[in-house]
Amino acid sequence: MVFAHGFGCDQTMWRHVAPQFADRFTVVTFDYVGAGGSDVTAYDPDRYRTLDGYAQDVVEIGHALDLNDAIFVGHSVSAMIGALAAIRAPAMFGTLVMVCPSPRYVDDVGYPGGFSQADIDELIAALEENPLAWSASMAPAIMGTPDQPMLGAELTESFCRLDPRIASDFARAIFSADNRADLPKVAARTLILQCRQDILASEAIGAYVRDHVPDSEMVVLDATGHCPNLSAPDQVVAAMRAFL
Amino acid sequence: MTPDRDAGPAGSAVEDAPCGYLVMDHLGRVVSVNATLSRWLGIPAAELEGGEATAIFGLASAVVFETSLLPLLRLQHEVAGVSLDLKARDGAKVAVMMSADTRGEGEERLTRLVMLKAGARRDFERELLQARADAEVRLSLAQRQGELREQFVAVLGHDLRNPLAAMSSGVRMLSRRPGEAQEAEILRLMQGSIQRMSRLIDNVLDFARNRLGGGIVLDLRSGDLEAAIRQAVDELRAAEPDRAVRLDLSLAHDVPCDVWRIGQLVSNLLGNALAHGDPEEPVSVEATTSAPGALEISVCNRGAPIPLGALEKLFDPFVKLGTEGRKGLGLGLYIASEIAKAHGGLLVVTSGDVIRFTFRMPAPAVEG
Repeated sequence: MVFAHGFGCDQTMWRHVAPQFADRFTVVTFDYVGAGGSDVTAYDPDRYRTLDGYAQDVVEIGHALDLNDAIFVGHSVSAMIGALAAIRAPAMFGTLVMVCPSPRYVDDVGYPGGFSQADIDELIAALEENPLAWSASMAPAIMGTPDQPMLGAELTESFCRLDPRIASDFARAIFSADNRADLPKVAARTLILQCRQDILASEAIGAYVRDHVPDSEMVVLDATGHCPNLSAPDQVVAAMRAFL
Repeated sequence: MTPDRDAGPAGSAVEDAPCGYLVMDHLGRVVSVNATLSRWLGIPAAELEGGEATAIFGLASAVVFETSLLPLLRLQHEVAGVSLDLKARDGAKVAVMMSADTRGEGEERLTRLVMLKAGARRDFERELLQARADAEVRLSLAQRQGELREQFVAVLGHDLRNPLAAMSSGVRMLSRRPGEAQEAEILRLMQGSIQRMSRLIDNVLDFARNRLGGGIVLDLRSGDLEAAIRQAVDELRAAEPDRAVRLDLSLAHDVPCDVWRIGQLVSNLLGNALAHGDPEEPVSVEATTSAPGALEISVCNRGAPIPLGALEKLFDPFVKLGTEGRKGLGLGLYIASEIAKAHGGLLVVTSGDVIRFTFRMPAPAVEG
């Protein structure tokens, strides 16, 4: 079972979910290039101009691990990266779990992506212009939490470390992507997990994905925001268990 | 709304403090804001409370807040010094620096955001980023110039080698067998080599002064083409007296060219053939003019064919043929090819039993 993190963070996003499946599955988590402990020198702006480059990485990980009929769990943008990887290598991933997916963030005729093109242009320009917005993430943070000393060991790690320039490129790849035409090509059995009040992927988008991925079902979690794997890990685990 | 004991700013010192203050519940809804933040946003506190906290931010900041900062607050309960933009009701952006922490678990979980206006600081940060970008541009320019200088030194070394080898060989012969007739011939060769070296040095210094701009510049003032080719061949013969070099010249027509450069081209091609060809087999140099302005020079040797993969890159700088550590910097064929191009000509290679380099000027017309 491969867990892939989404935009803005790294594999620590899965720390409350992935271990719950270690009894039944071999659990794999990883950081995309530019995130967490990845080797940023391996970054190639051309390769990662679109999500295909990331999907290629997932397939390479699958080959390296010799995966066959594995489960891919992708949060946020990784839901679509997983779909692309499963289309590329259908035998590798027989099951997909998409957490807060969106095949396209920009509105289109009859499709409520949630953002206008002007929004996305502004978003990308602002992220490029102000990479310091990521500054809390990019520094290896060792911060005190006086009232929670038991977290001391964890705090020597860094969470959600990002290379701000790669993060801006990643944002461009994500928010200019349109993977709607890929959804019907997904042969894998697919679970869609959806939150309420997700500013990035509304329930309507979750329903769109469900309607276009042939063998799929959607579960709306009793959680808000875009990161239920952190805010409501128990619900994510329960829904996945029920599906698997 | 039930203000938390710790969190509610109402009536407290932070109400009108020079910082924005917001408390958010476990679902990301605004519990309370202070008057300062409400004023910055141009939105009454009562209207903000109960709504989504991300709504106070511009779009990009909302996305960063949702995808990166909220996870960080979950994981480490605190973030500090994040650069974000608030979005006021009238559309104006307010640059702020935000720090936040999270307390409590489950439904008791509260997150507190403190924001300081940071417009001037943002400008400063932007200038720093711009300065870094400029410095990177300057650095890469300096690196490229450094590479050019290295290449320049390599060219200098390469071009000085053949005439120097001829001189050294001549001196060796002189010291071995002093005889009058031979002495005169050797001295003539040495004189030629010295002249060629001084021209090389002049040229190289011109090149350096011009900062390596614009490729090879030709001097088309008339010169003795035949003498230049003979000089180049004789130099290499003198350097490798055991090798058979056949020279066949048929230069009936006038060809406007830089004779010194053509000599350099021949020298490089012949040097290459001697270095890589079968030492038991002769090397031949043929130069013919089929019409005024039409010159063809070919240099042939026998030996191991050039591998297909190497053929493509043969005329690139610093490509070496064959065995490692073989003499040469891999510049000879590159320079020869550049000389051919400068003359509006072309240097091509065919490789089979015989390896043949052919220079033709003008270049053969390309079909289509």
